Amino acid sequence: MENNKNEVLLRVEHLSQHFGKLKAVNDVSFDIKKGEVFGLVGESGCGKTTTGRSIIRIYDITGGSIYFKDQRICAGTLEYKEAIDNIKKETKDAIKALEQEIAENPELKSDKEALIKAKKEECDRVIAENRKLIKEAKFDHKNSDKEYSKNCVKEVEAKFAKLFEEAKNNPEETALLKKKYKDELRVAKNTKLVTNIQMIFQDSIAALNPRMTVREIIAEGLVINGIKDKEYIDEKVYEILELVGLVREHAGRYPHEFSGGQRQRIGIARSVIMNPDLLIADEPISALDVSIQAQIINLMNELRERLGLTILFIAHDLSVVKYFSDRIGVMYYGNMVELAETDELFAHPLHPYTRSLLSAIPLPDPHAEKKRTRIVYNALAEHDYSVDKPSMREILPGHFVYCNDAEEANYKKELGL
Amino acid sequence: MDKILEVKNLKISFRTSGGTVKAVRDISFDLERGKTLAIVGESGSGKSVTSKAILGILAGNSIIEGGEILYDGKDLLRISEEDMCKIRGDKISMIFQDPLSSLNPIVKIGNQITEAMILKNRTSRKEARGSFNRHLALLKKNMLAANDPSLAGEIDELVKTLDKMSIEGNKLENRYNNEKTEAVDLLSAIEDFLFKASKKQKLDVKKELSRFEKLLADISDPFLTINYDEQIKTLCAELSAAKSSYSAPKKGEDENVELPEEIISVLERIKPILSDITAHENPNFFRIGYYKLMNPNASLTEMPIAEFNEYALKYLDENFMHRFIELEEKGVEYSFNQALAKKKDVVEKLEDAKTFYLGDFSKAEALKLCKTLSDEVEASIDRLEINKDSVAYTFRTALTTAINKYFFYMKNNPKEEARFARQSKKRDALIARGKHVSWKVVPKVVFDLEELKADIVAVIDRLSTRYSEYIANADSVDFNARSVEIIDYFKDKASQVVYKVTKSMAKERAIKLMEEVGIHEPRTRYYQYPFEFSGGMRQRIVIAIALAADPDIIICDEPTTALDVTIQAQILELINNLKKERNLSVIFITHDLGVVANMADDIGVMYAGKIVEYGTADDIFYDPRHPYTWALLSSMPDLDTKEKLDAIPGTPPNMIYPPVGDAFAERNKYAMQIDFEECPPFFDVSETHKAATWLLHPDAPKVERPKAISDRIERMLSKTGGEQDGE
Repeated sequence: MENNKNEVLLRVEHLSQHFGKLKAVNDVSFDIKKGEVFGLVGESGCGKTTTGRSIIRIYDITGGSIYFKDQRICAGTLEYKEAIDNIKKETKDAIKALEQEIAENPELKSDKEALIKAKKEECDRVIAENRKLIKEAKFDHKNSDKEYSKNCVKEVEAKFAKLFEEAKNNPEETALLKKKYKDELRVAKNTKLVTNIQMIFQDSIAALNPRMTVREIIAEGLVINGIKDKEYIDEKVYEILELVGLVREHAGRYPHEFSGGQRQRIGIARSVIMNPDLLIADEPISALDVSIQAQIINLMNELRERLGLTILFIAHDLSVVKYFSDRIGVMYYGNMVELAETDELFAHPLHPYTRSLLSAIPLPDPHAEKKRTRIVYNALAEHDYSVDKPSMREILPGHFVYCNDAEEANYKKELGL
Repeated sequence: MDKILEVKNLKISFRTSGGTVKAVRDISFDLERGKTLAIVGESGSGKSVTSKAILGILAGNSIIEGGEILYDGKDLLRISEEDMCKIRGDKISMIFQDPLSSLNPIVKIGNQITEAMILKNRTSRKEARGSFNRHLALLKKNMLAANDPSLAGEIDELVKTLDKMSIEGNKLENRYNNEKTEAVDLLSAIEDFLFKASKKQKLDVKKELSRFEKLLADISDPFLTINYDEQIKTLCAELSAAKSSYSAPKKGEDENVELPEEIISVLERIKPILSDITAHENPNFFRIGYYKLMNPNASLTEMPIAEFNEYALKYLDENFMHRFIELEEKGVEYSFNQALAKKKDVVEKLEDAKTFYLGDFSKAEALKLCKTLSDEVEASIDRLEINKDSVAYTFRTALTTAINKYFFYMKNNPKEEARFARQSKKRDALIARGKHVSWKVVPKVVFDLEELKADIVAVIDRLSTRYSEYIANADSVDFNARSVEIIDYFKDKASQVVYKVTKSMAKERAIKLMEEVGIHEPRTRYYQYPFEFSGGMRQRIVIAIALAADPDIIICDEPTTALDVTIQAQILELINNLKKERNLSVIFITHDLGVVANMADDIGVMYAGKIVEYGTADDIFYDPRHPYTWALLSSMPDLDTKEKLDAIPGTPPNMIYPPVGDAFAERNKYAMQIDFEECPPFFDVSETHKAATWLLHPDAPKVERPKAISDRIERMLSKTGGEQDGE
């Protein structure tokens, strides 16, 4: 386990998700290591849910790439398109300027024309390059699952080729193997890479189909995956139900017969049955009563230990995020503004938005509460990004802040570096 | 302490297809003026039901089984719907959990805020005139009866003068109000104009400016313009000059030119004058009315308002008021004594009635006695009193309802029993025949007749205690103070008659309210629809609407549950600030103990329809005693929590069959045998702190609270220096 601690399971690079003019997520990068809980916090509308949904490919992303197990599963084309537009505009301007010069000094004509030609060629080259990248991105985006299932099929074929060889002389066993081979091949064909990422939704009532029994809801993933063995499915469903703290009898009931906490357990069971590597939990507890919240958090902690899950935990309740996560990313209006290990973030919050967020946490302590002053964050008043553009910078090892040069120096001074 | 709202032994249940759900089971609490009471509990613990009962908006299938909610001397569970209408929204407002569902999606925000103001104003003006006339006639009657008959002529004259002077004052006030309204209108129009210009919206500048000029020239009432006459004249001239020098951009030209500097500067200079006029101290029209009545040709412009107020007061007192009060006082005393004598009679009769209602009686008899009794009680009311004794006023409705309820259930109970028995038999028979029965028998709703009888007696009892107090205090009544009170009442009503809220006034007030609750650019947002607002902003709008009527009590039903941390902190701060500024009393309902630490003065923890622990915020957070409070506190992580969370196992009990003992026993790891058998009473921990758990019984084994909580409390106290008592 120790060795795997630093293995990156999911890498998000320059993710952008635009809806028309609205830039819901803008240039967000982070990675999630195997076995950790990565918390994503921010106020509503800051793009944390959109990030989660982009990762599981509910949306087609606009720009950037997402790598899962070192395989690109999502790719956007925004940056390439921008590059093409830029070079076109630059070239056009440059040519215009050169033509102007030619008109003024006709004697330089041949020289300048050569320059124009060079510029045009350069432009064509860049465009071609980027077009190729766009093609690649589109291909990856479309075919990552196909490639993955192809590999799975190959594995199964190889495995069974060997088995067939061994059982060559035994017709009974061969027939049995053939049936098994068919089943496994079907599953392999239906396997997708994205299946290894599963999601838990905030509103458990809306997320569960009211006309399906709990058994159908939980088994749906398996069925889609091509498994037809009823007994196997039932066994699996019961096992998972018990794992999440429900009982077998619940399998025949409908979602409306359950309380909020139990419904959320069903949602978790549905996502865990596919044996995912990464679980995206999108505010799984904000719609629940406090006492039930604790049950669900304990359950997720337990599952994490037993199944070795990696979790992307999206929430706005900072005390819970602090309790549950190893690392935390703070988002503000589509940007990641600070990213650090949990203890580090709470010990040294650097970005003013993080500070305001931390100052808003209500505490069960009347005396401290009466003295607490909330820090108000106003992005326009706080930063001057007119000249010096900000970017994600590493202030301490593993502690990133979105800032520009002047702010970086300031933060470092504050930390005594 | 000044208790503004008292809830006593409230019991509420709901009729559902599954059975009668006992939602609230015998809870009591007090709300003090200017304080916040937080009610904390899981969903389904009955906290929202309690708040809805206070507002009288319970669902149709609810049954109020008993108890009372006392506000301002009235029992909110027993007053008529019309009386409730005067309290709901006006005196007690509510902020709901989901702001989107409490706003009308197809009406603009501004109209939603102003709607109530304009409607309320219209009815209150009508009512004011009526009550003025009625009260004056009553006063005259009493004055004539109390004083020497030879003074009849004088009294007649005096009352007539009072009426006339109020009308004269009204006329002046009306004119004044109109002028003020015009100033408000103009100010609002100029603000709008400047706002639109700054946003480069299309404007008909010439037309607007000539409108301003006309309006400005109109503002010329002597009361208002004592200091501004000259300035207004020059500004008018400047405005017209600016208008004539302005040329509108021609068609096809760029229409987004900025407004010339001079126009803006003129308008900016008009603004402070107008806002000064609108903020002007009101003259006392009642006094001036008399002066004007006596000296119809006198000019009123010569003195500053404050000085003139003084002069008019002296003039009024010397010529009229002293004599009037002298005679009035006798009338008031006469009326009081008459009523007192009748009250003494009634108290005896009430005692008789009590014994009557405790015995056997037929419906006709009961209603007949009720009618005669109510008639006498109503006759015994001192109608001249300004602070009305509402117990007496609502006696008839309260008693009649109680009696009718008794007889209804007397008739209905056996029917209900029979139906239940019949249906159960049928169902059993079907089951015995081996059929599958998918339906359930609707459970019976049966009331204990003895309890209903006790309710009838309780109504009478309440009045008789009230009257006994009244009779005991009869000697210490100050009739002079009462007379002055009555005069003030007339004055108040007279000015209500002419106080007209126009649309633009309501708009200005709405915009002020929106600013107060922290909405930026209220002028643009005034014209937007609810869907254009974010969750936090919507909640602010709802708060603004709740504040529009200037209520005494605000009930917040999970106002921040749908919001995220930063917005939640903002809304909580806002509610806290408004509470301080307006001296509001707040009932704050939530399931999250964390959010109330800063808000609450007192906290009641509810579980399964009962309050299980009640105390100040310090009591609950630093010295919790009930296992349920422990569980609530330990199930939420704070910033220092590392160990496994102590989740409460299981779910709340089914309230159709409430548990016999402590409702929390099943989920409670400290439960003892007695917890399953008998409901624990409240044990006092300190003067302010009580908890309903057998663990506090002297014979109970010593149980330490969970370690996680003890550790946390220690940590918290050490952080704040252990100042548990001091503030």
